Amino acid sequence: MSRIHEALTDLRAVSGVKGAAVLTQDGLVAAASLDNADSAETLAGIASWLLMTTVKILRDGGMGGMHRLVVQATHGKAVLIDLQESCLVVMLDQFTDVDQAAAEIDEAALRIRRASRVR
Amino acid sequence: MHLIQRMKVWKELRRLERRVREEPAPNTFVDLGQVFINLEMHDKAEQCATDGLALFPKSSELRELRECARRGLRQRRAAALRARVTRSPNQKDYRDLAQLLIEIGDSASLHAVCQEWSLRFPADAGCWLVLGQTKLVNFYRDLAAREGHEAARCLQRAVRMQPADPQARRLLGELMYRIGAVAAAQRQFRELQALNAEDREVAALLRHVASLSDHGDDLAGLFADVETHGSLRHPPMAPTSPSGDERPLAGVRDGLAQVAELPGVTKAAFIRGAKALVKGAIRDGKDSFLRASRVVARAAHRFARKVDIGSASKTIVEGPFGRICVCAYGDALAAALCDARADATQVMAELQEIVAGALAVTEE
Repeated sequence: MSRIHEALTDLRAVSGVKGAAVLTQDGLVAAASLDNADSAETLAGIASWLLMTTVKILRDGGMGGMHRLVVQATHGKAVLIDLQESCLVVMLDQFTDVDQAAAEIDEAALRIRRASRVR
Repeated sequence: MHLIQRMKVWKELRRLERRVREEPAPNTFVDLGQVFINLEMHDKAEQCATDGLALFPKSSELRELRECARRGLRQRRAAALRARVTRSPNQKDYRDLAQLLIEIGDSASLHAVCQEWSLRFPADAGCWLVLGQTKLVNFYRDLAAREGHEAARCLQRAVRMQPADPQARRLLGELMYRIGAVAAAQRQFRELQALNAEDREVAALLRHVASLSDHGDDLAGLFADVETHGSLRHPPMAPTSPSGDERPLAGVRDGLAQVAELPGVTKAAFIRGAKALVKGAIRDGKDSFLRASRVVARAAHRFARKVDIGSASKTIVEGPFGRICVCAYGDALAAALCDARADATQVMAELQEIVAGALAVTEE
């Protein structure tokens, strides 16, 4: 198992985390740990679109890029972390406190960054 | 369900009905309504929710129960209509069925029904109008270019098929001027005026459109611009009595002032439609924070719907600029730009108060 996949599997074990995936900038799935394999493609497409839209509007406005994006919705939450050449997407259930899960998500992001550099 | 099970259910129902009479509270009504829904007695569930709301008009659980019961009733009616159009298809039933499916929010079935409708009655423009309206709702909600393009295509087809139908033409004209195709919209409104010279609303629309700048007829480019900027090019026609609209904004102003005073908050804004109230160093509507808030809220909403987590209400973007906190419900949005000192939870709670306050006053 690759280190990236290992980081995702560990993250998946955290309470409230429903799935996690690492996506390339062009919306392809580099690694994923999700219940439904089919949903990885949908998630990859829409998450990379969200990331690109956000980064573009921030750069156009002279605000630089973004590090993290948190979306809270009625039935769930999502955290997107920009890893420069890729992006980590973590799906959480609606009851999870994002601040409490932040430490584990940050640690996973760090592990994925390191693993990407080693490769 | 066999006899013993049926008796148990009726016994439970009687117990819950007695409880509702003896201890009227939102949860007792909800419990009873839930049993009615489980028994597929949606009419009784709706009645139960209505009775409960008469006593507890602000209960959100009871409103949810009523909505759920109504959804069940609509679904049952849709199934009956579906069976009827299969047996003996006619345009009126197709129209009613499509309307029901819109209310239920079942877009897949709606497309299938419209497809069937257009095949059986190719001369009826109704299916294109219904499809156009659905796409239009999606476009105004998400500002997604593809939806806008589809809406324009369906409405144009409806107008071509029934040039004398004012509804499709009016919707098309409104869509065109909102995205910047003002000259094309004027043509549609002039046609409308030719159909009914005494229509005051069309005359008002023509006056409103005359004051707007035209950005050409390239609909694809204009839709793409709208998606990129996260806002429509031109505002809708102002309502005839603007005084009523000012009332909710008073509370919003106070709320924004409160948010702006929180430690670490540098800018705060409330946006509803084309209107924006701001606090902090914001020069105009093109301010990067305002634009980013609008685009991020819409993009997050679309993301949440696509990944099936409901509707996005709160979004936080972190970057070298600090944090942008956005709280959006319906078409109302409140946002704040903060630095590291700000407590995001507190800021978000205040933003939620502003949006909820604005929506509550409007509902009243």
